Amino acid sequence: MRTRKIPLAVALAAGLVLTACGGGGEDDGATTGTLDFYTNKAAWEPDFDELNATSESDADITLNTTGYSDADQYDAFIKQSFRTDKSPGLFTWQTGPSLAELVDEGLVAETTDIWTEAVDEGWVAADMREAYTFDGKQYCVPMNIAYWVMYYNKHVFEEQGLEEPTTWAELDAIAERLTEAGITPYYQTSTLFTFPWFQQLVAGTDPELYNGLATGEVQYTDPRIVAIMETWRDQQEAGWFSDAGSTVDPAVGLKQGDFAMINFGSFFNGSLDGAGMVSGEDYDMFVIPAVNPDLAKTPVAVESGPLCVAENSSQKTLGLAYSEWWMSPEAQTAWSEARGDVAFNPKATVADPMLEELGTTVSGDDYELYDRYYEATPTPILTVALEQFGAFIADPGDPLPYLETIQAEADDYWADQE
Amino acid sequence: MSRVIRTGVLIVLGLIWLLPVYLLLINAAKAPETFTTAESWRPTDFSLFGNIAEAMRLSGLGESVASTLLYAVVSPAIAVLIGSAAGFAIVALRLRHGFAWFVAIFGGTVFPLQMILLPMFDAYSRTGLFDTRTGMVIVYTAISVPFSAFVMRNFFTGIAHNVFEAAVLDGASTLRIFTRVYLPMASSALVAIFILQATFIWNDFLLGLTLSQSDTVRPIVTSLAGMQSTYGGAQMSTVLAGGLLVSLPTVVLFLCTQKFFARGLALGQY
Amino acid sequence: MTSDKTPTVKAPKDPYRWSALGFIAPGVLFVAVLLYLPLLWTTFLSLTEYNGLGDPEWVGVENYVEMFDDPQFLGSVFNTLLWVVGTLLVPVGIGLGVALLTWNLAGGSWLRLPFLIPYALSGIGVAVIWSFILGGDGALDQALAAFGIVDTPRWLVDAPLNTVVMILATAWQGVGVNALLFTIGLQSIPKEPLEAARMDGATGLRLFRSILWPMLRPLTAVVVGLSIVASLKTFDIVQGMTKGGPGRESETLALTMYKETFVNSEYGLGSAIAVFLTVVTLAAAILYLREQLSRKHEA
Repeated sequence: MRTRKIPLAVALAAGLVLTACGGGGEDDGATTGTLDFYTNKAAWEPDFDELNATSESDADITLNTTGYSDADQYDAFIKQSFRTDKSPGLFTWQTGPSLAELVDEGLVAETTDIWTEAVDEGWVAADMREAYTFDGKQYCVPMNIAYWVMYYNKHVFEEQGLEEPTTWAELDAIAERLTEAGITPYYQTSTLFTFPWFQQLVAGTDPELYNGLATGEVQYTDPRIVAIMETWRDQQEAGWFSDAGSTVDPAVGLKQGDFAMINFGSFFNGSLDGAGMVSGEDYDMFVIPAVNPDLAKTPVAVESGPLCVAENSSQKTLGLAYSEWWMSPEAQTAWSEARGDVAFNPKATVADPMLEELGTTVSGDDYELYDRYYEATPTPILTVALEQFGAFIADPGDPLPYLETIQAEADDYWADQE
Repeated sequence: MSRVIRTGVLIVLGLIWLLPVYLLLINAAKAPETFTTAESWRPTDFSLFGNIAEAMRLSGLGESVASTLLYAVVSPAIAVLIGSAAGFAIVALRLRHGFAWFVAIFGGTVFPLQMILLPMFDAYSRTGLFDTRTGMVIVYTAISVPFSAFVMRNFFTGIAHNVFEAAVLDGASTLRIFTRVYLPMASSALVAIFILQATFIWNDFLLGLTLSQSDTVRPIVTSLAGMQSTYGGAQMSTVLAGGLLVSLPTVVLFLCTQKFFARGLALGQY
Repeated sequence: MTSDKTPTVKAPKDPYRWSALGFIAPGVLFVAVLLYLPLLWTTFLSLTEYNGLGDPEWVGVENYVEMFDDPQFLGSVFNTLLWVVGTLLVPVGIGLGVALLTWNLAGGSWLRLPFLIPYALSGIGVAVIWSFILGGDGALDQALAAFGIVDTPRWLVDAPLNTVVMILATAWQGVGVNALLFTIGLQSIPKEPLEAARMDGATGLRLFRSILWPMLRPLTAVVVGLSIVASLKTFDIVQGMTKGGPGRESETLALTMYKETFVNSEYGLGSAIAVFLTVVTLAAAILYLREQLSRKHEA
């Protein structure tokens, strides 16, 4: 039958086209105009649009933003797009192993010159450069930065006569006090964001141990990790954490007093404001003290999202021109105003005084920044770890089986890397 | 069963079915600033229109309406015709190896959509169909064809074959028999497929996310979904209000097409 | 488009052969080009190691071996089967019930409407509202508390209860479509045999068994066939409500496939699961439909 053969032939031909490598386009060299921009932070699209007024007058570039709401799908499509002529002129990404992977494949444009200038001008702290450096060269620029801190409901603290803790022991005392008063101290969830408390406990106990997990030098079944998980379990059993199966929006939960505190990134101000809480009046935040009081510096988890340019994009020059402008205090002041977030540029003005203060605090000598668990951990291990922490949160018990499952995946992963 | 009991059972069951809709309505109407989950069942305040306005501002879905309407009307209309033609070929024209052909078309629905997204994106960006309305209409049509072929094929089996033979004796061509005899008899099935597929397309999220980027091509739900994420964005009542707004046209569509299904035993008696 | 007038040279016994091919061609072309081509690519990927960057590397059946070796894979198969059975029992059963109850009933089409509205609602609102209902201390727990029931299970946390409640949530959305399809089936039943049976005094269950059920078979095949296919692919609601958790306890095959592909960038393994799922679904569909559709011819 002829009609059957035709689709088959078409199929084979198209299959060949799909297999054929290549993609991308010639850089058209334009430095002004409309830049196609892809982001997985779709909720920020209105903020990027707002920023266009400033970027148009300053640099003569406007962003045409396409937002993706699902981070996993976003990653897959960006990776796929490098093979097509839609290779992005500007896109958001994650630091850590995900960025390293793109750099290894030579897919992102180098930004060493932009960084050198920005550091010289004092537009960005030099130690931020590390997360963007591979083999001595820089790639991408920081889009946003968030510090993972403890938010708390001010009314609850006032009613209970509590104050922001300065040591871990004080924090524990607060949790005990709240539990006695019938208030759940901490928020937790058994889906996706299952890692913050683990991250906090490990890094706050020993930053070396935390780094060891990320590099594979420390096993998840290490007795020190097991001990930390047992502490976590004891806290679970003491009733310190909110209902794992709750589906209430965390911002609403903090507002209605489902729990008194929540460990979250500093972008959380936006959600809390949106839920009708007033910054500094209804809620406030503190940097979580180190578990181990002997640590010289208090570790603070930091999350930084890069803004990258594809090496083979037809808009490479334009994307780099925008990246350069992005680092400037003018751009960062306008961005902080549009987004209401902390700025990585110390010379930028931050609109929210609480965030301004946080930025100053953590850049002081008593604090050191470490990469958030989500970015620091290789993806396959992360996937399993998030699931296992979720299962542990749902049914707190002997932590060893959960840790063994994570370690099994870690063993596979590190074996593949050699 | 007596009519009263039947009506009674349907009313009770229907009310249970409407409970989540009730929750959706009252919670979409709560102001984000005062929203709590502690009193889910009680309406507290009414700021539905404010929430809808906020959802439209955050998602920019206003620009998507025209294109989504185009997809939701054109694609299922084409698909219904193509599907009926396939059903007609298999049932009335008694196409040889009809079952195999049928399985070939129906097989288009069996694999998970997520798996074909990436190759489709690749193919679309190479052929220039990416981010075009034509491209979206084509893919939505393809997605709708297996369902309509399946329903129409089975619906046509309910029509006696002597209907076809009688028409042939009258000297009608196959095309004429298809358009003048079979399609009119199948109107309620055609309408049902059309509204089910139009609703499916109107609510599509994945294909829109993958194959389009500009605001004027992206379908409405893809635009709407973008406004909520971990990194802030819309509050729950705003999301619900947006979801409600987007659902209005499909609900109205169902309301308006009710009369097609109220005809009782008018069909298939030829 | 068609070739009605083409003289039939070779097959006088089959005078409509070319005409029939013309009628079926558009459907086959659309499906082949847009749906089967990507599937070919997926099948190719399932035999390779590919992380989404660079080029796929041929590894033969390694991904399939890995897939069957993974104990979680069995868990996903089990959950998926639970979905298949559950959606056949609940939404198909209630859908048939609603269609029969509204059939020939004054105002029946309006009484059917409450069941159709959930289908018309956009998926975004539906996922949010059901999380809201089933979450810990959510709307359902609050309603039960009003009746004095406070010690409720953790609907979305405890397995396999979480799968069961998610099937019910899906039923809420799916019943209307099934009822509508069954209604079309009831409408296509010829009047004469029905009247004859009624004359004989057949009502209720007997009328249903002797006339309605056999006559409904073509549309039952549609509903059941679609239900099997859709439930084997279950993804959206699970991803929206539990993300397969806690741990991986409520994961379905489609979710496992999605995680391997999109989260872990294991395109080869994800594709292998997709191919497995496709083969199973197609086999189930063919077996079921062949039996259903051939029995029909005897009627």
